[in-house]
Formats: sequence, structure tokens, C-alpha cells
Amino acid sequence: MPDGYPEQNPRAAWRVYEGEAVIVSPEDSMLHTLNPVGTFVWEAADGRTGLEAIIGRVCEAFDVDRATAARDATAFVEQLCQRGLLTILEAPRPAA
Amino acid sequence: MREVTVEIGGVRTAIVTRHPDVADVVTDRYAGFLSRGPADWRIETGLRPEGLVDQEDVTVRTGGQAGRLTIERHDFVATLDVPARTGTLALGAVDHIALDTFLRVVYSLALLPAGALLVHAASLGRGERAWMFAGPSGSGKTTLTRLSPDATLLSDEISIVRLGAGGTACCYGSPFWGELGEAGRNAAVPLRAIHFLRHADRHATTALTPRRALASLLPNVLFFAAEPALVRRVLDVAADLVARVPCFALGFRPEPSVWEAIDHA
Repeated sequence: MPDGYPEQNPRAAWRVYEGEAVIVSPEDSMLHTLNPVGTFVWEAADGRTGLEAIIGRVCEAFDVDRATAARDATAFVEQLCQRGLLTILEAPRPAA
Repeated sequence: MREVTVEIGGVRTAIVTRHPDVADVVTDRYAGFLSRGPADWRIETGLRPEGLVDQEDVTVRTGGQAGRLTIERHDFVATLDVPARTGTLALGAVDHIALDTFLRVVYSLALLPAGALLVHAASLGRGERAWMFAGPSGSGKTTLTRLSPDATLLSDEISIVRLGAGGTACCYGSPFWGELGEAGRNAAVPLRAIHFLRHADRHATTALTPRRALASLLPNVLFFAAEPALVRRVLDVAADLVARVPCFALGFRPEPSVWEAIDHA
């Protein structure tokens, strides 16, 4: 099962319009636009919520089965990690 | 020592130099944009001892401190201290090309605190309103400009748009020209709409949601620094802009009747 705690790159600049995020990469100023499910995962990636819990929330919010949500969310998180927009923490970040 | 001040988008930059030929190039190149007012930015300008170097693309590097940048190209090397609004420029060649490239970088930063952006776009004034036409090279900016002989040219290539108090946005004339080789008129005109251009078989305008407008605008914003605070500011200004100004996708064929579609959007 997916594990870890996704966390947004704090250097990224982003906005959400009508449930869809527009993100500017910090290093190369590249523009990324996310669909509603991707935006949901992005907004939940606070470094304190486990990927497993995020997948559970996706299932509830978008009426999708757990296996599909787990597969898609894991692939999406890996993709954003490759783009430098997310990192995966092994342990939850302590609350500030 | 000579000091020549240019005013672009309402921001004044003094070029200070002991080289008369440098001052002459500035005076000549920015003839419609000279100012006698107090400068917001001050750039000490001299000559690069090694002259031209082997480096084609412009590079912008951030220094150890926030807002400190080094900019380099084959024909100049420069430093900027954004918080202090000062800089140095060493020209490898005393011509308007090096100066123009440098000033585009400077103004992409200098305009931000004032809520203004440099946009890869043509802009035209008609009556008391301005329209901005954004798009990459080949999308039709110069073509549309040539189809509009009765319009006031604000820019055929790099437009300046600035948010004002009270929810207004103005398009400013720009000296940064493209294929047309002609500076815009130095004026500030309220912006009526932004159109994102593409060539098409017929004229057609499609209203864009703020999200689509922002995603269309950002790739056309000239910006060179990767500092998170500055990138966030670009995003904030661009988001405010598309919230205030109607944005459209404009497909057009090269005929003056395109203005009927623009007027009816």
C-alpha cells in the first residue's frame, strides 16, 4: 500500500480556480495545471497527512473505488515528485 | 559623468555613465521615453574590459542574498540589487541591442512592485481603450498590428500592463519593439480586453475562464528570476489581472475585419 507523507514544495507558487490548480515551478518557472482530483491531492499534501489517508479522502470526494484511487494517486504523486513540486516525507512533519 | 533617465511603465531608471557614447545610445534608443523626474532605479554603466564573450543566451543567476542577481550575455554583464533598486552594467558592445536586452530584464523586476508585468504581446489603443494581443512568435502579433492602421501602437512585441487602484488596468506604451522595429507611443490607456492569438480560417472569439486565462497569460509573461517571492508576485499580479480584465481566445485570419470580432467580444 502507498505510504509516506506528501508535502508541497514551499517554493512553488499556486492558485486554485473552480477546483483546478495552476502551479508555477520554483526552479524553472514552468506552468502546471491540475485537474480537480489532482488539485484535491495537491491541497492535501501538507506533509502531515499520509498518502493512505489522502487516498481515502479521494474515494469519498470523487466516488471512486479504493484500488483505482490508490493507483492513480500514487502515479500522480510520483509525477509531481519528478517535477519537483512534491516530496515524500517518511514521517509526518510536526505541526508548526 | 552623464545621467540619462528613461521612464517605462511609470518606473524611471537612471543610466549613469562616464562614457558619452553610452549616454548617446540611451538617449537615441529611448527618445520617446526620456524623463527628467527623480529616478526609481539607478544603474552605473561602463564598459566590459574583455568586450564580447562567447555566450549567446542570457543567463540570470541569483546571489547569496535575496534580490541580488547577476545577468550575463555575450554583450554585457550586469548585477542588480532589487531591494536597493540599484545595479551595474558593463557593456561588451555599446549598442542598443545589449541595452535593450538588459532593460527588459530590469523592467521585468522593476515593474513587479508596482503591480505591472511585461507581456509577450502586441498592444493597440483605439479611442480611449487599449487591447492586448498575446501569443508566442508566429501567433500573429505583428500581423494584427499591421491590420490596424487607425490604432495607436503601444507595442508590437513586449507590452506593459499595470494594475491601478480601483480595479482598473492600464496598458502602457513600450519601447521594446519586435518585427515592426517601431517603439510604441508613450501613453497609458485603460485596458479593455486581452486576446490570446492564433491564426484560423475565420474570426472567432471565445471567452476564457480566469483559470484558462491565467494558464494562457503566464507563459507569455517575461520573467527571468527564479526567486520564490518574485515568482509568487508574478502569479499574484497575473491572477489579479485576469480577474479584472476580460480575456478571450481569438482565432483570426489576416483581414482588417478582425476588429468586428474584437469589438463584439
